[in-house]
Amino acid sequence: MDISAFVLFWAAIFTGNILLTYFLGMCSYLSISKEIESAFGLGVAVIFVLIVTSALNWLVYYYILVPFHIVYLQYIVFIIVIAAFVQFLELIIERYTPALYYSLGIFLPLITVNCAILGVGLFMIIRQYNFIQTVAFAAGSGIGWLMAILMLAGIRRKLKEKMVPVGLRGAGISLIITGIMALGFIGFSGIVQIQ
Amino acid sequence: MLIRILEDIALMSGIGVILALILVLAQRWLSNYGEVTININGKRDLTVTGGNSLLSSLSDEQIFIPSACGGRGTCGACKCQVLEGGGPILPTEKPLLTKAEMADNVRLSCQVKVKSDIKIQIPEAIFNIRRFNSVIEEIVDYTYDIKGVTFKLNEGQSIDFKAGQYVQLETKPYEKIKQKVMRAYSISSKPEIRDRIQLIIRLVPEGVCTTWVHTQLKVGDKVDFTGAYGDFYLRDTAADILFVAGGSGSAPIKSMLEHLQEVGTNRKMTYFFGARTTKDLYLDEEMRAFEEFFDDFEYVPVLSHATEAENWQGKTGYLMPYFKDAIRDPKNTEAYLCGSPGMIAAVTKSLINDYGIAEEKIYYDSFG
Amino acid sequence: MKHTPNDKKIMAKMQAGVITYSGFLGKDTRDFNQIIADDEMVLDELGKTAEEIANRLEYFQQKSFDAFEASTLVDKIYEVDTEVVRGYLPCPFMHQGVYRKSYTTITNTKSGKSFTYSALNIHLIRAHHFFEGKKSHFRLEPRELVAELF
Repeated sequence: MDISAFVLFWAAIFTGNILLTYFLGMCSYLSISKEIESAFGLGVAVIFVLIVTSALNWLVYYYILVPFHIVYLQYIVFIIVIAAFVQFLELIIERYTPALYYSLGIFLPLITVNCAILGVGLFMIIRQYNFIQTVAFAAGSGIGWLMAILMLAGIRRKLKEKMVPVGLRGAGISLIITGIMALGFIGFSGIVQIQ
Repeated sequence: MLIRILEDIALMSGIGVILALILVLAQRWLSNYGEVTININGKRDLTVTGGNSLLSSLSDEQIFIPSACGGRGTCGACKCQVLEGGGPILPTEKPLLTKAEMADNVRLSCQVKVKSDIKIQIPEAIFNIRRFNSVIEEIVDYTYDIKGVTFKLNEGQSIDFKAGQYVQLETKPYEKIKQKVMRAYSISSKPEIRDRIQLIIRLVPEGVCTTWVHTQLKVGDKVDFTGAYGDFYLRDTAADILFVAGGSGSAPIKSMLEHLQEVGTNRKMTYFFGARTTKDLYLDEEMRAFEEFFDDFEYVPVLSHATEAENWQGKTGYLMPYFKDAIRDPKNTEAYLCGSPGMIAAVTKSLINDYGIAEEKIYYDSFG
Repeated sequence: MKHTPNDKKIMAKMQAGVITYSGFLGKDTRDFNQIIADDEMVLDELGKTAEEIANRLEYFQQKSFDAFEASTLVDKIYEVDTEVVRGYLPCPFMHQGVYRKSYTTITNTKSGKSFTYSALNIHLIRAHHFFEGKKSHFRLEPRELVAELF
């Protein structure tokens, strides 16, 4: 594909937001958006893990899976790589920056099951991005995800839960809010083609 | 076809195995801190396996830094000075340390992880604290909610303490309670007896440990505790003594009186025991025996909620007015108080302002 | 909805035998966040904030401390009694600080209704709007508190 990495980066944040356009990464998004501090911590961790695992998975795909003709195993292999990397990252953070580990490290295991991570990895394959494009796309997706969770966290903080009908409290109203935000983001679509 | 499938499976497993190996090696290398040395007070060196908290590394070596929350980082009781090797201050420590303490390298030992050689400074008194294993020898019902429990130490163990100090008892999991907790109780037996101790334990509503003691413990059960802690103890002088206690606060006083009986004394002593009703009085016989034994000892129980029906002939109301008869020379009188902070505050204020006793001569063990 | 890891730890701390004998949830099957939300609805209805209730409970506790924990009559109709035992309780919401084990009982002599609470309860109400689960030992019903103590 012949799109500049720079354009991909911005497109991944706005026109093709991984969460608001593609609805990936909803689980942790819904449960951790209760407090802004935790949401921010998780978002930053997601950005970092996204960039590194996408890069790693790109390398694994083109240098191991393709030459050995086991492309159909990409789903399993990508997940294994993501899980291993997250575990490794946790060990490093605990050893060298314990202060960071205490405020952030608790979210790392949560990230392994974030489908946005696998989603970005699969998108890069489907859309046949090269390495630089992959990294830009992953960074943009991460920032887009962070933005989405911060927005929801901010809205939830201001929301008077008591005004919400009992049946919709919690997940219900969060999904409705997300839908409305997604509607807003539809306004960005079509500005740039990234696939 | 089959070959192809097997090949692919082998390849994928290969990838998995390689990643797993990388992780195992990383774990070994990153989480293994090897053996490290803890230098204490510049004198003593301990070699321990790195990676654990300072508090637990020390307690594994039989050095017990006090902790009220069991190492969870909420009470701040485990402060100690870490001169070198403690790493940066963690966000979990900051709320419990003052600026002066942080400048002085004071840290929470339950949060500091021992990852490399470390130098610390702790008060000498801590070395005397040990862990003891014991068996319940006797349980006595003193009142409807107070039991006296005797713990016989295992073979070869003996405890060294001063009358007035306390121990931390460890409960065992039972019924719906899955974890153990540690709770403090004053020793009520004399220090001359070193192979067993008695604790006076009152049932507290919702108390994990007291409920365990009152409903689960039987003679023959094994129990562990650490001690002895505290700087509430009898001073060896010739001054007159005023003992004041409320409720289960009588335990350390009993220990002090038994100790004085053992070593002999002719100090003038008066013991004011504050209780609510006659149902809360106990150890009366022991106190009368002390009155017979000592040259000059008087036991004065004072009830605050005595009802008509009980027909109580003794003193009632606040304790303070009755001190008058017990104090003959305020300059030569010491006071030992054990009980709730409110009682201690009231009594201390009265002793200083109304009776002229010096603040340094008033020793207390406050519950809260 | 999934719990954050923090919420899971708080739930664990509220179970029986961890901090207190029967825990903070009693026989309630609701999540503690739900308990807080439901009680907040009741408070809204009654027109009182949790802070006001906590301040009032603290007012009585302070009067009792002023009388050095002897039984005392406050505002002519409330009999207040406090008992303090040794030790400290941490807050199940896992922030720093421990609370004295002081148990205050207020009896409204006119209606005969009695409430018992600890220093920790005052903090739980003020900082977390948490009145404990139904049938828990120290559960305080906001409706009753407002009716009897104000």
